[in-house]
Amino acid sequence: MNILLVCSAGMSTSILVEKMRTEAAARGLDATIEAIPESRLKEQTNVDVILIGPQVRYLEGKIKASVTVPVAVIDNMAYGLMKGDQVLDQALGLVQNA
Amino acid sequence: MNKFIEIAGRIGSQRHLVAIRDGFVSVMPLIIVGSLAVLINNFPAINLGGLSLDFVGMMNNAFGEGNWQGLGGNIWTASFAILGLLVAFSIGYNLARSYGVDGLASGILSVASYIMLVPVTEDWGLNFAWLGAQGLFVAIIVSIAVTELFRYLINTKLTIKMPEGVPGGVTRSFQALIPSMLILTLVAGVQLFMTLQVELSIFEVIFKVIQQPLQGFGDSLAAGLVIAFLNHILWFFGLHGTNIIGSVIEPIYLPLIEQNLAAFQAGVSAYDVPYTVTKPFLDSFVFMGGSGTTFALLLAIFIVVRKQRNHPYHQVAKLSAPAGLFNINEPVIFGLPIVLNPVMLIPFILVPVTLTIVSYVALSTGMVPKTVAIVPWTTPPIISGYLVTGGSVRGVLLQIVNLTIATAMYIPFVMAGAKAMTAEINKNKAEVNEGEKIS
Repeated sequence: MNILLVCSAGMSTSILVEKMRTEAAARGLDATIEAIPESRLKEQTNVDVILIGPQVRYLEGKIKASVTVPVAVIDNMAYGLMKGDQVLDQALGLVQNA
Repeated sequence: MNKFIEIAGRIGSQRHLVAIRDGFVSVMPLIIVGSLAVLINNFPAINLGGLSLDFVGMMNNAFGEGNWQGLGGNIWTASFAILGLLVAFSIGYNLARSYGVDGLASGILSVASYIMLVPVTEDWGLNFAWLGAQGLFVAIIVSIAVTELFRYLINTKLTIKMPEGVPGGVTRSFQALIPSMLILTLVAGVQLFMTLQVELSIFEVIFKVIQQPLQGFGDSLAAGLVIAFLNHILWFFGLHGTNIIGSVIEPIYLPLIEQNLAAFQAGVSAYDVPYTVTKPFLDSFVFMGGSGTTFALLLAIFIVVRKQRNHPYHQVAKLSAPAGLFNINEPVIFGLPIVLNPVMLIPFILVPVTLTIVSYVALSTGMVPKTVAIVPWTTPPIISGYLVTGGSVRGVLLQIVNLTIATAMYIPFVMAGAKAMTAEINKNKAEVNEGEKIS
């Protein structure tokens, strides 16, 4: 599964990505998780779910309109406290409900 | 309040503004390299208690006075000195891509149109004065106009259609042919009209009418305060402030630091360069640890809750510290949280506003040198203060003074916030205990 995290420069989100990867590995999940800046979103293919950093949550509408996969904004607190497990659950839930 | 978020969001995702911002972001590495080249060329001697390290003097002795600086000078010429030309391409490219049309074709057309408008010197050279930061607004206007026209024309019937089976690359090159021809003819016509009838170049007109007044305002304390205020209000609502106002800040402030750099390169001391308020000024002296000077907030938290290692504040601060060193502060902004937290709103806005005033006074009265270098915004405080002031310990001292002021201002609010949180935790615990007793 390919999980994509989008924020402004892809920097703060990359911390969260590390935690999510660790969590995914601990659960034995086969998941590719990447953080990218918004400007590079168009280059991405083969994405299963897109999560948006809360600081750029105004991009939600625009991104939703341009892709067919599930899109959601990461929960404020889970993002701030860098809770890799919670955000991973959010991503998995979105894929399941899609 | 929702209206405010909606408007901010619209600005943050507005196509042209995003293209401008991303256009600047794409050329930033080159700009930073150019800036560092100038800094190394003019680095002051370092004196550490009798021990003296004079890099510039050493290089001058080895290669002859001023010879080796040609290296850095060359880098400058091909980076900062052609800023206008570079963003003409990158804005055209980014805008076209946002429409899903050929970015490369659009970027090249923007560059061609830009060059066409640049005044030519008497011996048939391009006038460098207009290729750089002074031509920035022309670059923005031209690249947007050209790309909009290109997008319009390529979607009309005015393209050459190829029969099926012709390779994609060939089709694309023919597709862009008629739009390119029309656009270049139009720009050439405008240029001809300007030279024959007005006897002024577009560059001079736009610079005098738009760019110069904006820059004049940009260098004022008022402008610095407006930016500090807006940026933090946006972050308080959880929106990326610097991202949203970046498209407006970069075009106004890059020319200011460019002129500081150019003067510094020409041998003017960092105290005497023209502009006080620049992007590095805000990044290094105000946004230490990120927006809200959260470096100081982390210090304040470590001081206030030093004895309660399990306090949520302590845990957030510990989690945020490593990234905070590099001015990335989303963890503390969303984790503490600062977002929509009325207790934190006051210092989060008041601290940067105060530091902007303090730093402005320190720089404009000549106590601290002005900014003469651009460093990546992720450069940790202390190092950044030293580098942006052209290698001055006074830059570091100002950062330390600012951090002290900011930490002191944050402490009472952290105390109030931490206390409220402790009370809430205890209340929750008590409720859980009550519940257990009843069941």
